[in-house]
Amino acid sequence: MIPTVSASGLSLRYGRAQALDDVSLRLGQGVTGLLGPNGAGKTTLLRVLATAVPADRGAFAVLGHDPATPAGRQELRRRLGYLPQTPGFHPDFTAFEFVDYVAILKELTDRAARHREVRRVLDEVDLADVRGKRIKKLSGGMRQRVALAAALVGDPGFLVLDEPTVGLDPEQRMRFRELIAQAGEGRTVLLSTHQTEDVAMLCHRVLVMAGGRIRFDGTPAELTARAAGRVWISTERDPAAKAGWRTGTGTFRNVGSPPDGADLLEPTLEDGYLLTLDGAGAEVAA
Amino acid sequence: MTAVLDGAPVATRDAGRRSSWAAALALALFEARRLLLTLPVLLAFALYVGWIVWRTPDFQDGYPALQDADRAGQTTLLLVGMAVLVCVNQAVLRAKRRDTERHFAVLVLPRSWRTAAHALSLVPVVLLTAVCALAQFGWSALRSGAVGSGSPGELLVGPLTVLLFGALGVLLARLVASPIAAPLITVLLVLMLFVAGGFPAGDGERGLRWLAPVVTEASSQTLPAALLDRPAAWHALYLAGFALTLALLAVLAGGGRGWMLTAATAGAAALAVTGGVLQCAPVGADTKAARERASVSPEKDQTCVRHGSSTYCAFPEWTARTESWADVVHDVQSSAGGTARTQPLVVRQRIDARHGLTGDAALEPSMTPHQVTVGTAWGGNRVPEFSAAVAAVLVAGDEKAAGSLCDGRMVTVMWLALNRLPDPMTSLRDVRLDDSVSGSAIVLSPTNPMSMTAGQTDVVRELLGRPAGEIAPRVTAHWAELTTPKVTTARVAKLLGVAAPKAADRCE
Repeated sequence: MIPTVSASGLSLRYGRAQALDDVSLRLGQGVTGLLGPNGAGKTTLLRVLATAVPADRGAFAVLGHDPATPAGRQELRRRLGYLPQTPGFHPDFTAFEFVDYVAILKELTDRAARHREVRRVLDEVDLADVRGKRIKKLSGGMRQRVALAAALVGDPGFLVLDEPTVGLDPEQRMRFRELIAQAGEGRTVLLSTHQTEDVAMLCHRVLVMAGGRIRFDGTPAELTARAAGRVWISTERDPAAKAGWRTGTGTFRNVGSPPDGADLLEPTLEDGYLLTLDGAGAEVAA
Repeated sequence: MTAVLDGAPVATRDAGRRSSWAAALALALFEARRLLLTLPVLLAFALYVGWIVWRTPDFQDGYPALQDADRAGQTTLLLVGMAVLVCVNQAVLRAKRRDTERHFAVLVLPRSWRTAAHALSLVPVVLLTAVCALAQFGWSALRSGAVGSGSPGELLVGPLTVLLFGALGVLLARLVASPIAAPLITVLLVLMLFVAGGFPAGDGERGLRWLAPVVTEASSQTLPAALLDRPAAWHALYLAGFALTLALLAVLAGGGRGWMLTAATAGAAALAVTGGVLQCAPVGADTKAARERASVSPEKDQTCVRHGSSTYCAFPEWTARTESWADVVHDVQSSAGGTARTQPLVVRQRIDARHGLTGDAALEPSMTPHQVTVGTAWGGNRVPEFSAAVAAVLVAGDEKAAGSLCDGRMVTVMWLALNRLPDPMTSLRDVRLDDSVSGSAIVLSPTNPMSMTAGQTDVVRELLGRPAGEIAPRVTAHWAELTTPKVTTARVAKLLGVAAPKAADRCE
């Protein structure tokens, strides 16, 4: 089976920092979460896959198109939707104009068809009512949806979303998750996020990055399962725990190697993620 | 490490055929619409259209010479050009200023094509400018008093100047990513245009000043089109080549590569250089000879027609206007007495084209008896001025003698000149240099001016205030005495039945 995205040995160095270190992956249809701490290389990986920056070494292809050649890069970009980490906007444009502008840059040249497509994606992100409103008049959540609409226009096969839920309130984040879930139907979505809830709710696969390398690749359930039997509750912070924090009930939740007789808790995805980071350098599960 | 996710490959739904050319054109249309709706461009166009509406009906007093009308709006279009420069520059910088560049950089249309689209977005603005310029010219051309012919090159200069300024704005944005660069350059351009206006004309009437986008002339006189020798076509080529060069350089600066682009840039630069060099060439010997001939012996180039007993000689473009001159001559002679009523006159159009349009030179009065000079302009103040010249020749015999009239005959001249005009008192004001109807003043005419004393002014004012039918019989009856040299103003006043001035005649 041919994957939408296949990459092998991607490496990129910024000065002394190794932003990407021999990253290989294959992505298929659906939403794949990309978790990792700041500086893990998530955004760099996304920028490489979005052809914003070239890798120093390695190769990748999207739907069989190799960005190493100008023609291949063009073809890849025709199939790419990209939502940058902090998307810029043209505040004097209306939502419709901005998405239309992006559609033109994606070479959707038939005016009537393009306008239909712009209306479709604005409907899809629930902005039909404000499409004639200038972007400077829109809320942060609405602007983020405009950016998602711009990424979705042209119905790209590969969607790259870099921390799209940052700065959104819980209600907006929930709405955005619905949109991403819809976007994941029938296309390949790579979603970079700090929010483990996003991954738990949206993704059928999750990648964990640290130090420019992929440390885990599996399902969210598999990541959660890594913490099975390794989360416990105590009345005091356990010094042996890899991580621990006081909960709302006044007890401490600990993650690590529990002492004998510890009061074990049901693990969450975040527990598994924390343990994976703690064990960075250990063998990746899948 | 290798991460593997299974799933079916996803195909992108194509929304129609895609091509960079078509996308660049679509983007150009999008940007053009926004450019046309920016406030500075709207304001500049509003001012330009306002100028057309305000200026065109009265351009050259409603008797336009089309060889002047074709370049009448060029200077005003500099304003549009500057607005376009600033606004297109801001449009190109928009992605940088709004931090969308890193997003747009991964979209299909490359930066060089986007730059080309911005350059192409100038085309509708330039076309609109051309439509306005054509409308202004067409309006002049459709006036019943229009004469001469326009030059397509001159009509192109305005729109091409807007294109040039716009292309400069695009290039500037690709070279300097600062929003203040364009306003600064605009200020610099204004200063440069002033400096360029002061460039020496060089050999003849051309020179380095033609390197400026719009070349104004020091003289306001109208010359036959063939004598203008403004290298408008070469200048248009120069502007087009220059604008194209800047636009293509902008595409190169935007990342465009390839031999075709390089060759096109070189070709455009060659056009600019060719036009630039040829437009600065000295005025040709043929033109100089033609100018000399038209100035010194205009009869060699003129066509003469008869209206009544008089002959009217005009350069070919002005032949149709001889009827207007004949009407004035008829009116003046109808009020005269003696042989002056039927005196055959020769009305000859004269110009001084020896220096082209680099300066205004006053025409020397003719010493040929009964010959009256008429210029190339008509309408407005030119009518009473010509009327005064006709009356002065009828009274004094020739223009040279008329220029030195310093006695009561001046009263007769002015009454003859003005009494049958639609508004004699306004015409009196218009024909006098100081625009007054009291005191002494210079009286303008197509050649050397005449002068009126304060007393003569009082008498003329009094005469013009009375019905012409009351004065005309007295003029006819006393014609001989009224036109006798050294007749006093007091005596003339008495003969014509109005109060004599207190002061004696004293010419200034």
